[in-house]
Amino acid sequence: MKITKLFQRTVFGIIALFGLIGISTSVLSINAVDSHLSKEYESNSEGHARTIADASVDIILNRDLSSLQSLIDQFLKIQGIEYIYITNENGEFLAHTFVPGIPQSILDSDVSNTETVQRTIRGMGDFVEVASPILAGVAGTVHIGMDLKSVSMKIQAAIGAQVYLIAIVFIVGFFSAIWFVSFASKPIVQLQSYAVGLAKSDSNEGSSFAKLLERKDEAGDLARLFQYFSTVADPSKLGEDQNSPESTS
Amino acid sequence: MSKPRNIRINPTSRRNVLKSLLAGTIAAPFIGRPLLGQEVFSEGVSDTQIVLGTSAAFSGPSRGLGIELYRGSTAYFTHVNEQGGLFGRKIRQQLYDDSYQPDPAVTNTTQLMVEDDVFALFGYVGTPTVTRVLPLLKKFQDRKFMLMFPFTGAQPQREFPYGDFAFNLRASYRQETGGLVDNFVGIGRERIGVFYQADAYGRSGWAGVRAALSKYGLNMVGEATYRRGTKFTANLREQVEILKTAQPQAIICIGAYAACAAFLRDAIDGGLEVPIANLSFVGSENLLKLIDDSQENSEDYTRFLVNSQVVPSYSDNTLPGVEEYNEFMTRYNPTVPEEFDDDQYTTFDRSFVSLEGFLNAKLMTEILRRVGESPSRLDLESAVFSITDFDLGIGEQVSFHTDRRQGLDRVYYTVVEDGVFVPLRNWKGTFS
Repeated sequence: MKITKLFQRTVFGIIALFGLIGISTSVLSINAVDSHLSKEYESNSEGHARTIADASVDIILNRDLSSLQSLIDQFLKIQGIEYIYITNENGEFLAHTFVPGIPQSILDSDVSNTETVQRTIRGMGDFVEVASPILAGVAGTVHIGMDLKSVSMKIQAAIGAQVYLIAIVFIVGFFSAIWFVSFASKPIVQLQSYAVGLAKSDSNEGSSFAKLLERKDEAGDLARLFQYFSTVADPSKLGEDQNSPESTS
Repeated sequence: MSKPRNIRINPTSRRNVLKSLLAGTIAAPFIGRPLLGQEVFSEGVSDTQIVLGTSAAFSGPSRGLGIELYRGSTAYFTHVNEQGGLFGRKIRQQLYDDSYQPDPAVTNTTQLMVEDDVFALFGYVGTPTVTRVLPLLKKFQDRKFMLMFPFTGAQPQREFPYGDFAFNLRASYRQETGGLVDNFVGIGRERIGVFYQADAYGRSGWAGVRAALSKYGLNMVGEATYRRGTKFTANLREQVEILKTAQPQAIICIGAYAACAAFLRDAIDGGLEVPIANLSFVGSENLLKLIDDSQENSEDYTRFLVNSQVVPSYSDNTLPGVEEYNEFMTRYNPTVPEEFDDDQYTTFDRSFVSLEGFLNAKLMTEILRRVGESPSRLDLESAVFSITDFDLGIGEQVSFHTDRRQGLDRVYYTVVEDGVFVPLRNWKGTFS
């Protein structure tokens, strides 16, 4: 597919524009998805922590701790939740999901703190830990650790899908732009050949460019104008030009 | 919802009954014979059968518990059935396998209650499974289902809000852990660590140890966990190191036999040579077999073992109930349920678990007898409450009433001598 020199800049311009749109959309999209999903995961975790905290009140006050363990074990099935632990108001661990034991970094932390924190636990990975107080904190605290790697993977997957879509649009746009420009420049290439033929006084010009001379657009007008100029410059061609389907008015 | 792990064609299923009736009705004119003799069940009872529903571990690393409990029950039920059954009805267990996992247990129980419509739930195994099943009993409370004698000492089926839907025969984990702590503290071993399964069962035992220690103003010195389903081949040295750091004078394990045997092996190999106690749920014979089969000098490992039991020793033939158990196990020698028998599991001639299953079946039979000739679930609870000072033949009378839904309280302690578990008579002499 050949593109005329006249349109080469246009093609590059279109590609550059597509590229700019693609990159800026990707960047915006990555930021939006990253921020949105991160907040959503954090918010969901906080929701789970609140749910456990609400459900724990009755169990801690009235029932056996195996019920509490059973409760948090069910939440552990939610994708992304890596660990859960519940402490009482004195900081004693009432239930947890750690194997083979409670990590030292958690034992050393302030378990009454309910602010969201990022933790690196040796041998386990990086986590966002959210917390919720039980009975306003007087009965203890629920902590949920979300695996950052798992969250990042999900965010990356969502971003990847967006970038993939944008890349497809970009590639389709790129080839479409080349095709359209090539299609648009075709009459000009023909016109150029016709003009060169006239200049060389090629007697076959009239028949091989019949379609060009029939065109109703600017290329057709120019072709007919070139034909007219050539007959003005050389009246002997007048008879030859009568072979053409339409003479210039 | 996943499909229940059905292991038997279910003749009590109403759907099957309807299908059979339909098929019979269509086929009858062609075979020239009317449909007669088709059993019709109501509340798991027909003219010839009374069906109890069971979901237990018949596969996986804890299958020894489900299989042995079933074998013990089967020994007694077979005897009853051979004598003509109860009021002409044979007692049959409808079995499903849950592999000691909560979700299949819930699915199986739903099947047993909704589709199979069994008379009662009987012979369940495990805390994480039973804990999840209990809400189903509350959900279907209008149909008066009862969970009879589950193989777990956990609290949820012993207290509000689910205590009214279950009856227990065995002592609780609180009683077992309490007894172990009392005895360890009694011989000066106050630094107690806990190795437990990271689930409701482990937490139940952990809470029992914590409560028992608090009576003495003590705390557990260390704790380590393992995941349910851990096999004997697993490496548990990390757990051993965690506990070793705490310098315990005794360790109480709340787990199943495969993991507890692996822990015992790694603890002794790691130099943690302190008494290591297990609860009755562990499956003592299965644990001992794993150690015996894998270690040349198994005594080096088992000399630290002390297991609590909720039934007396099966070698104590002075007890008529135990003698009867031994006689029936020999006479009927129950096998692994056919549908689960992959030739990979070797049964035990005798075990604490099968003895517990036997006693469960014996008491269940008595209760069914008291329910009467026309059994109804509505009458089940009052039949249980009519049990007062009932003698199972194990030296402890069984009584139930509205404030007491657990039949037995006694806890026994055993150690390994000459490759078998025998009663522990002298704590100080053995572990000082």
